[in-house]
Amino acid sequence: MTIIAARTRDSLAIVLPPVIFGVVFVALWQAWVEIEDVQPYVIPKPTAILQSLFDDPNLVTKACVVTGVNALVGLILGSILGFVGSVLTNRFRLVADLVNPLAVTVAAVPAVVIVGVLNNMYALDSQIGRRLMVSIAVFFIVFVQVTKGLRHNNPTQMELMQSYAASPRQVLAKVRVPNTMPFLFTAIRTAAPIAVIIALVSEYFGGTQDGLGTKISGSLNGSNKALGFAYVVGGSIVGLLFFAGSSLLEYLVVPWQRRRRPG
Amino acid sequence: MDTAVPNPAVVVSGVRKVFNRGATNQVDALIDIDFTVQRGEFVSLIGPSGCGKSTLLRLIADLIEPTDGTLVVNGKPAHQARLDQDYGIASQHSGLFDWRTVERNIELPLELKGWDKSRRRARSAEMLALVKLSEFATHMPWQLSGGMQQRVAIARALAAHAELLLMDEPFGALDEMTREHMQAELLRICSETGTTVVFVTHSIPEAVYLADRVVVMSPRPGRITAMVDVGLGRDRSELTREATEFFDRVTEVREALRGTHVGDPIMGVDDR
Amino acid sequence: MSARVRKLVMFPVAFAFVAAAWEGYKAIGPANGGRLLGMRLLPRTNSRTMPHVWEMVSRLGRPEVRGGKQTILSVVTAATWYSFRVAFTAFVIGAVLGVAVAVLMARFRLVERGLMPYLIMSQTVPIIVLGPLIIGLMAYGSRDLVSKTWIAATLLGVFLAFFPVAVATLRGLQSTPPASMELMDSLASPWWRTLSKLRFPAAVPFIAPSLRIAGASAVVGVVVAEISLGIRAGVGRLILSYGQEATSDPPKLYTAVFGAAALGLVMALVVAVIDRQMMRRHPPEGV
Repeated sequence: MTIIAARTRDSLAIVLPPVIFGVVFVALWQAWVEIEDVQPYVIPKPTAILQSLFDDPNLVTKACVVTGVNALVGLILGSILGFVGSVLTNRFRLVADLVNPLAVTVAAVPAVVIVGVLNNMYALDSQIGRRLMVSIAVFFIVFVQVTKGLRHNNPTQMELMQSYAASPRQVLAKVRVPNTMPFLFTAIRTAAPIAVIIALVSEYFGGTQDGLGTKISGSLNGSNKALGFAYVVGGSIVGLLFFAGSSLLEYLVVPWQRRRRPG
Repeated sequence: MDTAVPNPAVVVSGVRKVFNRGATNQVDALIDIDFTVQRGEFVSLIGPSGCGKSTLLRLIADLIEPTDGTLVVNGKPAHQARLDQDYGIASQHSGLFDWRTVERNIELPLELKGWDKSRRRARSAEMLALVKLSEFATHMPWQLSGGMQQRVAIARALAAHAELLLMDEPFGALDEMTREHMQAELLRICSETGTTVVFVTHSIPEAVYLADRVVVMSPRPGRITAMVDVGLGRDRSELTREATEFFDRVTEVREALRGTHVGDPIMGVDDR
Repeated sequence: MSARVRKLVMFPVAFAFVAAAWEGYKAIGPANGGRLLGMRLLPRTNSRTMPHVWEMVSRLGRPEVRGGKQTILSVVTAATWYSFRVAFTAFVIGAVLGVAVAVLMARFRLVERGLMPYLIMSQTVPIIVLGPLIIGLMAYGSRDLVSKTWIAATLLGVFLAFFPVAVATLRGLQSTPPASMELMDSLASPWWRTLSKLRFPAAVPFIAPSLRIAGASAVVGVVVAEISLGIRAGVGRLILSYGQEATSDPPKLYTAVFGAAALGLVMALVVAVIDRQMMRRHPPEGV
């Protein structure tokens, strides 16, 4: 009994503080808007945001799906290309040496600005430019990590394979590629939220107007701030779904990482 | 192996190994190494850090090549013996593959040899029974304790019907109790299978308890300084560890080691 | 060639490869796009969408507007320099705030427990879209503030730079080796001493890499703020307005893209120098 009581207390100690912080924050927000009589075109009430979320859930859902699909297609495509590219070129150090500076550049510069260039290359109503932008960012993250994984060999395992007189191809298939799995799935987990952010921001650079990015900036810059926030909530849910999904994938595919992950 | 004349399991003659030859950081790892391991014999290699005992084991395994001299394993050049998977190897890090179940870890060398699946499964079951881990066949390695992982590594080393087992401080990372248990298990496995073992260690009691013969080595340059015949017979038990003869042999090995030049023990050669 | 020199040399080589690939595809690709695997995947190669690399570079030397005096290079450089100052200010403020909040959280368990889930969430949700909200709040505070648009861009940059640093610092403060903590406890060290002598130095290897992310985030925040909020001055505005001229003057847009890339790279370089200084006393990374 006491153990159960202690357990309950422990989990309450973890769950309660953030819930209280969240509730207090939202309550203060609501109270401030009510008391100060802040105009809804400046900051909407939390209740108003909820209202517009449930008034027409389809509106928000549709935009979420457009952006979510763009992010997902880009994430999958970029991951596959990054993984296959790394495995195919791992014999040639020069390729990794050439990809690395580009990866550094893509990570450091506001690469989304080239989405305008990409959009120019395709038809006006096409989502390909945005998806390509997501793939490019994901590709570099995955490529760099998988290359690290291919080189991150356990010396005991490599010696073992040598003692079996295994061919380079067998070593690649049985040791090196399986060894990249933790790196691949960590990379995907890192890339998933970035994919959503890029899919969203790339909508600021023209193209079709049906995604979350254009909806959010349209509503927040306009007067319907409550709807804008409803879209923001939708975008947060998409981001969390991507994070949760990629974390779950990592948990399932590389279970031995659960206990080893440093942080 | 029904050869009329029983040939030795390992013959090392005139072996010398120099690392970074000609460079400023040249290291004479081994010189003048001559010794023979008979079939079914258990030989321990002991010596301070940097005496080249691990290097010698890797030379026998053909993981590195000697600068001079020849190594004959199972009656053929060490290189051919490796290609034929005549030996099994186990080291301090079990080197198990996280992503394979215990049985699939044991089957790895058999896969590389091209055995079909049912034959592999039968053999891994046999090996698991030998190391008494049958009920853990479908566990993942990281679900096992350190001692159990080491037993899986031994099963893997013996899976391909190797008659020679090369071991590099396999129990080095285990606690003392587990270690003694593993030593007893290793002796049991060897007597059941008739396996020849070359065993690198830096623990004197371990070397004596396990071996028929202890090869004592000294560093810089690494060479063999003494051979101690243990002569405790094959039937060893926990009582052996408390026997007077056991302590006599331990003392003998310790004195042989003391005679070696123990310079500065930090300068080990890591040839991985 | 040392590894570091090789790394640096690879930058121009890699860029040259990209330029060559661009020209190569332009030479063989279909002018008006094409189908691949049943989708319109192949980009158009006409000079409106894919101008020659040398056209982009030479455009830098010509005036921004026909008959104008200023070359586009000086316009882009001025705008990039402007954005850099804004982004760097945002980076510094965001990083300092991030460390401060993390220290506060490490000191008070309740604050940590209450805020940590939100900090982690901030890494997964696209907080960048909250830009207009910040403007809204500023407008509420004071009308004058909004006219200083760079403040809005700075705030968004601060906002984005803050989170990675706060999360990493807290993680670093939490992963002090227990044995060292026990040592400090045995010496009856007060918490601020333990913080300044042990926990903070031990957290540096966590903080340093987060600064790189913070630097890049600050740049993205500022550029996106400039674009989405229509802030004048700054390289973001150039991208938007040159993009609108893409039909008549295709290479122009690319000069602004070069500016944005330079902005990011200079920021990365500055942060790398800071990073190196911070990590001087720490052992080099293992893998």
